Order: sequence, then C-alpha cells, then structure tokens
Amino acid sequence: MWKYVKGYLHFAVLAALFMVGEVTVDLIQPKLMSRIVDEGVLGIGNHGSSDLNLILSLGLFMIIVVILGGCSGSLNNVFVHMTGQNIGNEIRKDCFGKIMMFSFSQMDQYGAGALVTRMTNDITQVQNMVSQFVRGLIRTTMLTLGSIYFMYRLNHSFGYMVLAALPFFVGCMAFCLHRAEPLLPKLQQELDDINAILQEDISGIRVIKAYVREWYEKVRFGRKNDTLVKTQLHILTIFAFMNPVMNAIMYLVVALILMVGKVQVDQGITTPGNIMAAITYTTQMLNGILMLVMLFQTISKGITSWGRIKEILHCDPDLPDGECTTGVEQGGTIEFRDVSFSFQSKGKPVLEHVNLKIHAGETVAILGATGCGKSALAGLIPRFYDVTDGTVLVDGVDVREYRQTTLRAKIAVALQKSELFGTSVGENIAWGNPEASPAEITEAAQIAQADAFIQEKQEGYDMILAERGASLSGGQKQRLSLARAVLKDAEILIMDDATSALDLKTESHFYHALKQTRPHCTKVIVAQRIASVRQADRIVILEQGRVVACDTHEELMKTCGLYRDIYHSQMGEEEE
Amino acid sequence: MANLKMIERSIPGANRGARFATVQYAEDIKGTLYRIIVYFMKEKGLVISMLGVVMVGTLCGVWAPSLQSHAIDVIAGSRNGHLMKLISLMLAAYLIYSVSQLLQGMISARLSQRIVKRLRKELFDKIMDLPIQYLDVHSSGDIMSRMTNDIENISTTVSTSLPSMVSGIMTIIGTVVIMFWYCPKLAFLSWATVILTILAMKILSKQVRKYSRKRQQILGELNGTVEEIITGYRTVVAYNHQGISIKEFCDTADSLTKAGIRTDIFSGIMGPIMNCISNIGFVIIAVFGGYFATKGIISVGVISAFIVYAKQFSRPVNEIAQIYGQLQTAIAGAERVFAVMDEEKEDQSGDTLPEVQTAQVEFQHVKFSYQAGNPVLQDFSMTIPAEKKIAVVGLTGSGKTTVVNLLMRFYDIDSGTIRINGKDIAKISRESLRKEIAIVLQDTVLFSDTIRNNLLYGNAQATEEQLKHAVAMSRCEELIRMMPDGYDTFLTNGGANISQGQRQLLTIARAFVADPKILIFDEATSNVDTRTEKAIQDAMHQVMKNRTGIIIAHRLSTIRDADMIVVMDHGNIVENGTHQELIQRRGKYYELYQTQYAGFAT
Repeated sequence: MWKYVKGYLHFAVLAALFMVGEVTVDLIQPKLMSRIVDEGVLGIGNHGSSDLNLILSLGLFMIIVVILGGCSGSLNNVFVHMTGQNIGNEIRKDCFGKIMMFSFSQMDQYGAGALVTRMTNDITQVQNMVSQFVRGLIRTTMLTLGSIYFMYRLNHSFGYMVLAALPFFVGCMAFCLHRAEPLLPKLQQELDDINAILQEDISGIRVIKAYVREWYEKVRFGRKNDTLVKTQLHILTIFAFMNPVMNAIMYLVVALILMVGKVQVDQGITTPGNIMAAITYTTQMLNGILMLVMLFQTISKGITSWGRIKEILHCDPDLPDGECTTGVEQGGTIEFRDVSFSFQSKGKPVLEHVNLKIHAGETVAILGATGCGKSALAGLIPRFYDVTDGTVLVDGVDVREYRQTTLRAKIAVALQKSELFGTSVGENIAWGNPEASPAEITEAAQIAQADAFIQEKQEGYDMILAERGASLSGGQKQRLSLARAVLKDAEILIMDDATSALDLKTESHFYHALKQTRPHCTKVIVAQRIASVRQADRIVILEQGRVVACDTHEELMKTCGLYRDIYHSQMGEEEE
Repeated sequence: MANLKMIERSIPGANRGARFATVQYAEDIKGTLYRIIVYFMKEKGLVISMLGVVMVGTLCGVWAPSLQSHAIDVIAGSRNGHLMKLISLMLAAYLIYSVSQLLQGMISARLSQRIVKRLRKELFDKIMDLPIQYLDVHSSGDIMSRMTNDIENISTTVSTSLPSMVSGIMTIIGTVVIMFWYCPKLAFLSWATVILTILAMKILSKQVRKYSRKRQQILGELNGTVEEIITGYRTVVAYNHQGISIKEFCDTADSLTKAGIRTDIFSGIMGPIMNCISNIGFVIIAVFGGYFATKGIISVGVISAFIVYAKQFSRPVNEIAQIYGQLQTAIAGAERVFAVMDEEKEDQSGDTLPEVQTAQVEFQHVKFSYQAGNPVLQDFSMTIPAEKKIAVVGLTGSGKTTVVNLLMRFYDIDSGTIRINGKDIAKISRESLRKEIAIVLQDTVLFSDTIRNNLLYGNAQATEEQLKHAVAMSRCEELIRMMPDGYDTFLTNGGANISQGQRQLLTIARAFVADPKILIFDEATSNVDTRTEKAIQDAMHQVMKNRTGIIIAHRLSTIRDADMIVVMDHGNIVENGTHQELIQRRGKYYELYQTQYAGFAT
C-alpha cells in the first residue's frame, strides 16, 4: 500500500494540512462566540457595559476565519480526491497488468466474475478508504479530541464532565454495532437467496407454468421475503436506538454543565459565554463520534478489499517465460512425449501418458466424449496450461523453453465458445494482427465461410459487435473466430470444437477451402462429430485421458470398437 | 454495500459525499406518488402513531432550547427564574424528544419494511402470473433490477426519508414560528443562509450531474473492457494481445480517474461549503444577536437559543435537499415497479378438460405471429392421433418451437383452432390444460431444492413407488445413487453441481412423475454429446409409451422412431411421413439428412 501512497504523498499531506485548518476553525469558533457574548454583550471585564465595537471587530474576524475555514475545507476536498482517485488508478492499472500475466489455471481459479469485482468494486472501496483516511479520520479525531481539549481549556470541570460521558457514547455505539454485526452477513445472505429465487424462476418460467406451480413458487418466495424483512427490521430497530440514546446522554451533559455552570458563575470562575461555548463543543463532539461509526465501516471494508487486491498483486505468474525464439525442426511439428496433465496439482488426471507426434502440414483430429481431455490436450500446445509430467514439443523445442510470445505467434486458435470483442467485425477478424489489409480480411472471411453473411449485413465488415456478438447466431460467431484464426496464417492451426455450430455442409466447405489455401499449415481439429473428422489424415481417439487409437477413418472403422460405437450412435444402424 | 447503507440510514447527515449520486426521474410523479400513498394508507395505525410521536417530539425539540436559553439568562442574571426547575424541565423535554426519536425510528422501520414486503410480494406474484410473452420480451436483468435495485431504493428512501421529511417539515415550521416569536429581525437574518445553501446546492448539483454522467459512461466502458478481456482471455493470449489490451485499459482508466476526480470534487465540496455557510449563520447570530442584546432588544439566552434553533432549522433543510435526489430516484423506481404490476395477467378462466385416458391433438389452420405482420405459422394443420409420437423437424426459425408455445397456451393463436380430444383449448383454462402436458426443454431447468422435490415438481402427490418407477424408467437410478445424499441431495444453483446430461435425465424423470397425457420434448438432446444422447433417447422412449408425444429436434438421430415426421419450413409443413418414406421421397427431409450425415459433401 505504501508503494502507492508514496507517489501521492504530497497530495495527502496537503489534504491533511487543509483538514487541520478546517477543523481548527470549527474549534475556535465557539470560543470566539463566547467572547462576543461575555466581553461584547455582557461586558465582563469592562464593568458590565457592553462594547459594540468589540462585537463588530470580533464578528469581522470570525467571518474571515470562517471563510478561511471554508476555503481550507474545499482545498482539502480537492486534494483528498486527487490522492484517492490517483492511488486507485495506479492500483487498478497494476492489477490489470498482473492479470494479463496470469496463466489459465490462475484465471480459472479466480473466475471472471471475481476478477471483475476486484477490479471495480474492491478498488473503489480502497479508494474510499484512502479518502476517508485523509479526510474523515483527521476530521473526526480532531473534532472529538479538540472539543474535549477546548472545553477543558474553557473550564476544567466541563472538560472532566464531557470526558466522563465519553465512555458512555462509545459504549452505546459499540453495543449497537456489536449487536448488529452478526446480522449484517445474514441479511446479505437472505438478500442473495431471494434474488436467486427470482433469477431461477424467471429462467424457469416455462417449466413453472407447464407444471402449474405458480402458487408454490409464490409461497416459496413469500417465506424468504418474510425472513428477509424480519432480519432487516431487527437491524433497523437496533440502529433506531443508537442516535436517541446518544443524544439523551448529551442532553444530560448539557444539564450538568448548566447546573455546575450556575455555581461557578456565581463564584466568578466561569462566564455565561463559556457555558454556551461548552454546550456547542459537546454537540460537536457527538457529531465527531457519530462520524467515527461510518469511518470504521469504510476502513474495515477497505482493508478487506485491499487484502483481496493484494492477493492479485502478489500473485506470481506460474508460467515462467523461456528464452528460446526459434525451433529446431520444421515449422509446425508437434510432439507429446509421455504427457500427463491435471488441472489442480493433486486433482484427477485429465491426461495420462499421452504420446503423439504430429508432423508439419498434417491434419490430425482428436475425438472423444465430453470430459475425455481433448480440449486439455489441444490447450497444452500453445501452453495455455503446463503439463504435470512429460513434455510437449513444438518444432522440436519444449514449449516451456520458448518465449511465450514466440510460441503463440506460431499458433492460431479457434475455440468452440467464440470469444468476440466489442469492435467491428473486421477488427475482430484482424484481432492480434492489426496490420492486416482489407483484402486479407475478406479472404480469411471467405475461407471461413463468413464473407457471405457479413456482406448481407448493412454495415458489412464495419458492423460493431454489441455484447460479444449477441446479435449473431452461434454458427456465425464461430465462423468469425475461424476467420480470425485463418488470417493469422500461423504454422499450427488449432480448432477446439470450433465448428460445432456449423451445419455439415458449411463445415465441409470450410475444411475444403482451408486445405486449398493453407496446405502447409498443421491442423489440429478437436471435435465430437464423426463427420467433422472423417477426412483428417489421422484421428486420435481419446477416452478418459488416454489415447485409445490413432489412425485414419477407414482403419479405425476396421480396428477400433469404440470408434465404431460412436459412428453408429451418430449415423444410425441402417446406414451401414 | 448493504452494511454501509444500513448504517448510513441510521445516522442523519452521515452520507455527505453520496449526495447527488446519479438521479433518475419518474415520468408521472403525481400518479406514482398517489399510488405510494395508497400503500401507506394500508398501514393507517402505524402512520397515525408515527405522526403523533413526531408531533410530540417536535414540540419538545422546539421547546427545550427555549428552556435552555432561559436557564442561561438566569445564570447570566438577566432574567429571573428557578434554575433547577428550568433545567429539570429542559431535561425532561429533551428526554421526551429522544424517546420520540427512538419510537419514530422503530415505527418507521416497521412501516417501511411492511410496505417493502408487500411491494416485493406483489411484484413477485405478478411476475409469476404474467404471460410468458412478457418475460420473453423483457430481459431478465431488467426484471431483476426492478426487484433488487428499485425496491431496495424505495425501501431505503422510505425508511430514511420518511421520518426526516415528516419531522423535518414539522421542525422547520416549529422553529420558524418560535424564532419569529423571539426576534423577527434576527430570524430573517439567520434564514438568509438557507437561501445561500439552496443556491450553492443548485449550482453544484448541475455540475455534478454533468460530470457524473460522463464518469458513469466511462466506468461502464471500463467494466465492459475488463469483462470482455477476462472472459476472452484465451483468445487474448493466443493472439499475443496482452500488451495492446493493457494500453487500452490504462487509457480508459486514466480518463476515468480524470472524470472521477472532477465529479468527486464537485460533490465533495458541498460538505465544506455547507459547513462554511452554517458557520456564517452562527456569526450572523452572534454579531447581530450581540448587537440586539446590547440594545436590550433580546437577552443573551436568546442568542444561545438561536444557535440551537438555527441548527435545528438548517439540518432538515440540508437533509431534504440531500434526499431530494434520492426521493426522485425512488419514485422513478416505484414507477417501474408499478409498470410491471399494471401488466395484464394471464387469463386463468376456462373449462376443465374432461378426464380421459388418452389425448388426440389437432391443429387446424393455425395462424400465428409474435410481431404483427411477421407470421411465424401461416396455415398450420396437423393431427396427432392419441398415443402416437410425432416429430417436428426443420431449420432454426422454421417455427418448430412455436408449435409448443401455442399448444401450452404460452401464446394465443391469431386464428384457427387447436383441439385436444375435439375440445378447443382456447376454451380450456390454462391450468387444466397444462396439467395434461409435460415438457422437457433444451435448457434444463431444475430448482435449487432436493432431487426428490425436483422430481415431484409436477405432481406433489406421487407415491414413493411411482417416483421409483419413474426414476428407473428414465435411467436416473444410477445417477441418484451416486449422489451423496441420494434423493435428498440438494441441487445448488439449479443443479450446477451435476452435468448437463444428468440434468436432462432428471427433467425427463420429472416429466414421467407428472404422468401427463401429452409429452413434449423441445430440443431435449441438443446440448449433450452423442453418447449421452443415447441414454436420454432411451429414457424418452420409455416415458412416451402410451402417451401422445411431440418431439422437436434439430438433430435427426433423435427422431428416427417417430410414428410420423413433420418437416417444417418457414411456418408451413412441407412434408410428412415416416423416416423411410421421407428418405425415399428425396425432398426437404432428405436434404436435411444429407447435410447432417453425409459428412464431407465435397
């Protein structure tokens, strides 16, 4: 944290100084007021005759002081926000930079939702904490302690009285917070529950209506609603006590001041103006304490958030970069040597002892049921994950020895869940290759069978994709992501179930065009449909992380029972 | 967030910085306010007792400072009176004031929670009763935000603003009267600061609104970027795009910070300025009060009383100014909530479908469109004999799923008739109709409940035997046995802890338990891999025995055994017949079949 504060320390110090200025004005003002009353109006020290000039000059002085206080407060405000926002910004940028260095296991471990929350919500909390620290903490502590001190200066016994009341104030506050504290997470949970029911019921409305269960859902929701309201009421009731009780304590102090004051005025120890000032100070002190409650909340939230952010900032990238920038074999060779892999260090192995060599320019398909490890196998090539055991070699070099940018420049990837970005269609295809010419983009789109549907759109390649291509069908999105991979023109092209939403005619046109235009490129096709893989040079059958067979379609039909099973389940018996 | 809000609520004036957050405006403020008042009227007892408490409290709150001022005068020797009596009276008044504040807090908490509870319940009940069309047209995020944000806003506003409004207005009236009574000149002078406050507020809030809109927009952009980059991280990495992404992000972050600083400065400066203005008010009171006191117009005690009154007076003014924006946002939220409540319910009237063993379904010349002028079904006629299985196939957008929507009366047809056993379904109540039909959808919907309760969803009266039978028939035995608590395993997040294929098997079992006359499978196997599909198909087969079945499918492998296959294209039936017949006909079905199974048709 210090690292970030350091850069903006000058702002923070300025802010703190101006805050001191503002509070000082708040603190000396009742004192000045008491002088107006005592010396000006009552003429104490002047044989009881009032002094209009003193009133006016003190008044003028007060106005100046007050305006200075206002200016100082405003400047404090400016510097506070400059400190908080800038620190937040630095943290935010560092965080993002760090996330961009994450490996996929790290990314999966946090999940997109949690990372976004950390980047936005948590950083805002830290920002608030910094601002509150520079502004609120100085203000409240100075106001509280200053009020007590000034009261003590006015009159020792007033000081003792308010000091004696202090534990009651704090005790009352602590009691309410203590009672409410365990209820707050409960409240949050109940709120989440009720929202979960709504979410579930909206997405399942067809089922609810089809089974005529509206009434049941209403009862279920009503029950949760009741508990939520009960908890909320409980908390509100606890807090309803806090202010009135603290106020009542303050009024007791005021009454005491008046009573003691009377005695002391009679003895000539104090003056009526001082009594008035003492009452004002008591009010100020209470305000300070009430603000402290807020402050604790902000700071404790800020600390929690900072802990979460720190976790990201202190995360070491677990894929250390290598040095190598060139391969030793022909471009496009891939080899798996006794590769085992699991997502978590002690988790169930996803791949076990996989041995496979893919030659440059070869088309190899990986086929298997959901969860057999085909995507994981493909993901090891561009080093999305590191192997648990064994080695993956690209162009004869262990992928861990490559500089990551070098390795990934060799490989183009298209995924099943096409990841599109909020720019134009053209820019999405040229993503990662900003120098591509319009002609190249169109050519890639043609190969990916995407050109026709893009041309049909009004803005063509300039159409902006809103919400990650929500306006496109699944097949269209996949074709864009295929075009992007084709455009990259890399030595290795991995298609991870990237044609699953295409109908077979389009899919076969794509593979055909790809073969024609990118003959030298090594193609790795991960798929579920036999039709997608039939024409590959070799088909690898994976089952539960092991290679069961690896051969052409014709050979597999003869030798591999599992392949025949899959074939029949997809083609139907009568087609034989 | 909720924690902080809760505490902010309980401390008046604590949320200084949060003033003029983005304010939303209602279109029909009067009408919405009237409806909110109606809700309050339903809680007459609470409203009246709160008004009573506030009245007593305000009176004491206004009276106590005058006692205090009297006491100071007595101490200063400028007025006569029994000091102890005055102090005890003052204390009593302050105590009553505190107690009334406490009661007010408790009553308004109860009041607001009762109103919020009623609003939330009515909104949910309404959502359940709305026709499917409403939920199809409106995004679930939009509806969710009405339930969460809008109702939460109303709740916060009602519980904080209501007491401060009521007691604020009464305090203002009370202090105005008493200040005027003490010294009209000084009263007018100290009110001058109020005008200053309002002026400053007006000018600043305009600035803040301008900048905060900009900040909101950049923030949205930033969040969008982060989400996009993180969810699409594989692609970012695969295309070595991290550097560019970081640069883009930093640029947006910098402009966000710039806008953020501006907004925060303008909204945060209000605090010191108001503080300054109220201090000026005190100076005015001290100087002019002192001047008047030397002239003998007022006593010293009056100055002290004025200081208290000025505080009492300016606090509600500030508070009302502060909650004004919040109030408008809440009214706008209430308007959105009422808008849902005003939607037409699904009509529940109609006859009961006569009890029969089997069901024959007929569509006759059905015409239907979701949007006027864009017909989905043109002149659709088909008959499904009782206990037969019919499959509907066709490309996406050919109107397959519409057939289901119409049969379930999720939507009503434009013209033509749909009959079950000869009875027009438009004349049958939706409840009675839907009890005879079970559906299994592509998006497997399970509820966050035990497996048992999920299976009993369509038929709570099913016996244990029926349940076991259904589970066995739908190939779920194995999967339930594998679960940690068997039938009592709780499915979290609607079954996120089991696979898609397993979820689909459970929904089939659920349909089995419901024991309907008609069963519909709407793309029930399109999201699972081909080997799981086989298990599901077996289950479907079992469930459909002795029932009328409609299978809607994209993958042709699912439907081969259907008694009849209907091929749809652009809202019309283009072909029908058995699989063999259609293959031999070499028409549209054959074409579809070819694209799916012919492999590389190069």
